[in-house]
Amino acid sequence: MPIYSFYIFDRHCECIYVKQWLERERERSSFRPQTANSTISSPATLSEKRVSTPIDAPTNARPPHGRLSVQDDAKLVFGVVFSLRNMVRKLSGPDDNFISYRTSSYKLHYYETPTNLKFVMLTDIRMDNLRVALHQIYINLYVEFVTKNPLSPVEHKGGEGVACELFELGLERFVQTIQDV
Amino acid sequence: MSNLNAPNSPFVPFSPNPSIQSGVPTATPPLSASKPAQLGSSNLRYASSRKSIYDRHLNRTQRSELSKASFAFLFGEMIQYAQKQVSGIQDLEKKLNIQGYAIGQRLLELLLYREGRSAKRETRVLGILQFIAQTLYRHLFGKPADGLEKSREHEDEYMLIDHDPVVNSHISVPKEMSQLNCAAFVAGIIEAVLDGSLFPCRVTAHSVFSEQFPSKTVFLIKFEESVLEREAVLQ
Amino acid sequence: MVILSILILNKAGGLIYQRDFNEGLNKLSSNDYLVLAGTFHGVHAITSRISPVPGSGGLEVLESDQFRVQCFQTLTGTKFLIFAEPHQPNIDVICRRVYELYADYVMKNPFYQIEMPIRCEQFDRQLVAYIKPKQ
Repeated sequence: MPIYSFYIFDRHCECIYVKQWLERERERSSFRPQTANSTISSPATLSEKRVSTPIDAPTNARPPHGRLSVQDDAKLVFGVVFSLRNMVRKLSGPDDNFISYRTSSYKLHYYETPTNLKFVMLTDIRMDNLRVALHQIYINLYVEFVTKNPLSPVEHKGGEGVACELFELGLERFVQTIQDV
Repeated sequence: MSNLNAPNSPFVPFSPNPSIQSGVPTATPPLSASKPAQLGSSNLRYASSRKSIYDRHLNRTQRSELSKASFAFLFGEMIQYAQKQVSGIQDLEKKLNIQGYAIGQRLLELLLYREGRSAKRETRVLGILQFIAQTLYRHLFGKPADGLEKSREHEDEYMLIDHDPVVNSHISVPKEMSQLNCAAFVAGIIEAVLDGSLFPCRVTAHSVFSEQFPSKTVFLIKFEESVLEREAVLQ
Repeated sequence: MVILSILILNKAGGLIYQRDFNEGLNKLSSNDYLVLAGTFHGVHAITSRISPVPGSGGLEVLESDQFRVQCFQTLTGTKFLIFAEPHQPNIDVICRRVYELYADYVMKNPFYQIEMPIRCEQFDRQLVAYIKPKQ
């Protein structure tokens, strides 16, 4: 069951990490490897891309007609997730948490930490609830490799410090296990 | 058909079917064209046998049914149309009554024709009311009326009760018009049938709320003096 | 069958009907519900945009800890939101029945103006009889 993409948003409403597994034929920038199928690209080029994309979209990357750039996508995802979270809080009190939503072609899973860090994953519709998985990503990967990293800054402005190699590798491996289940 | 009339009578035998029409109509042309319409000249379609709905046998649609949804939409539009032209609830009910009246006049003839040789001309009040409660109601709604009562206070008033009028089934009257009962349409049909059988009267529809039947309707039939006098003589 | 509440939104995202059937959700003011409806309408539109797979419809099911919302969008753009408990089965059947009641008692009502708030007594009565038969 394919997993399409993964986002992390911090408490300043910024996207600090984006990872996409489904090629969307949107960018012709020199960063992106020209693979046609939706396989996982090599970590090295992706991490290079990861650092730069959330900060400033490459100026030569114009999305083809109708498709959104990665940054716009991330903003929209954040908007959706934020609105839904507020709606759920309003309807059933501040303790309730929005878990996931499903449309006719994808499912979005959401997990928010007590520090207002938001983990979002878009998968196929048949995938079960990934809240536990997102929680695991948080404790086993994010906390281990990003928060405990002495070289990463406290506030990850522009995604700085998040996309370190260990984190990426761990994430890839973890996602593989989820997909194979 | 062509030999019935005297040569100089003012009446011209008229039929929409040109094949059996004789004489020359002076005013309006026949309803169906004498030759089939050319392609692209008009949007009307004509059967190649040039027969129209008026040539069908009257009993052909005796068993046919109409979908409730189609009627509901049509009736809703009739009410909206009437609402645009009137300025009050009484007027609206009167307009619906008139719309039903036209139907009732023809329905009386049709139902009596369909009864065939056993048809009896009703001369007594109870007889005609039974005709309405049973035959007419069964023809219109597939079930007989739920009750027929004579008023105790007034000699000339009778009440026909319907627990859940089919015409009102999809309609919710807003609070500010709570006096309106759209079964005024059915009241018009009943009034026409009574008038046509020589029982002049006035029929109105009233909503009566009951726990068991929230949309119970009572048709109040108020006969004129002449009917009561005749009843008294026939007694 | 435990349905917490039902909302109906018109084509433009305005709230035209709201009713609570069971306890479970906070009671909001009517203004709050209007805002909620507008937000949902917008979110529904965006969710079909951010789809990684091309050609997605809008949001259909939303899950949280204490409730679950199912959104049924008709071909005419009207949205029916059914709020229910998280493990309530057969919400599809309920959705379809509510749509049927809407088609019967709202659309066929000559006194109802399209896209305006629903004030049809028959619709209320039938809905309550279907959702909460004991009351």
